[in-house]
Amino acid sequence: MSYLGIIFLIILTLILRLMFGVETRALLTLYILGLIIFIFAFAVAEMPPFGSVTNPVFNEMSARFLEMGAVETGAVNIVSSVILDYRAYDTLGEATVLFAAIAAVIATLKSH
Amino acid sequence: MEDQIVRLTSRLVVPFIQLYGIYVIVHGHLSPGGGFSGGAIFGASLVLIAVSFNLEAGAKQVSPQSASILESGGALGFALTGLAAVVMGGSYLANRAAGFPIGVTGDLFSSGAIFIITLFLGAKVASTIVTLFYNIIEGEKKDGTPEKHSG
Repeated sequence: MSYLGIIFLIILTLILRLMFGVETRALLTLYILGLIIFIFAFAVAEMPPFGSVTNPVFNEMSARFLEMGAVETGAVNIVSSVILDYRAYDTLGEATVLFAAIAAVIATLKSH
Repeated sequence: MEDQIVRLTSRLVVPFIQLYGIYVIVHGHLSPGGGFSGGAIFGASLVLIAVSFNLEAGAKQVSPQSASILESGGALGFALTGLAAVVMGGSYLANRAAGFPIGVTGDLFSSGAIFIITLFLGAKVASTIVTLFYNIIEGEKKDGTPEKHSG
């Protein structure tokens, strides 16, 4: 099965090079893009179905956040308790990204 | 560009937008919203002033200098709140473990560090939007292209 694919690739290369005169560089780009598309399609096909109970996202973390979030952080809004208490590092990173973005804008626009 | 309808409408609407933005920021730990969305609402109201009047009227509300100070101060305050938790004897950015006053769950002044960080984040996001807007507009003006944003 795998050598059929290799034969197909060789024939495709010959057709593109000899009949259409495609350059080696363009062919290489085509094949690398095809490989990336293949990897992405493979990853999507392997993903668990949306909303299924057996998904890895339904673990003890979400149950802990929902049951103990208000008690442990004092915030009724569970989203707030997650982004500003359990995962405050992540939000600090987000604020840093905002800061870096505005610094880049000022550096770019003030220079000329 | 003189447009009486736009000016009057924005003059009427802007205080309510700002009040709503402050409401969303302050109630970040109680209701949907928080520092990011409330700050975006508040910043949009300041942009609306500059768009419907002119840049000078917008700069009278929040000057670009104070906006950039507020912007850096918000990020610094966030990081210093995390450091305060270390000083109080917890880990970095700890909330209850560091001994921030949690208060009664559901009250306005509750949830310790979350409330403080939300205020800093709101100030930061609002001033980020204002700073971004002013820098892009000023960059446009310096190039000599006509202003198309008024009215």
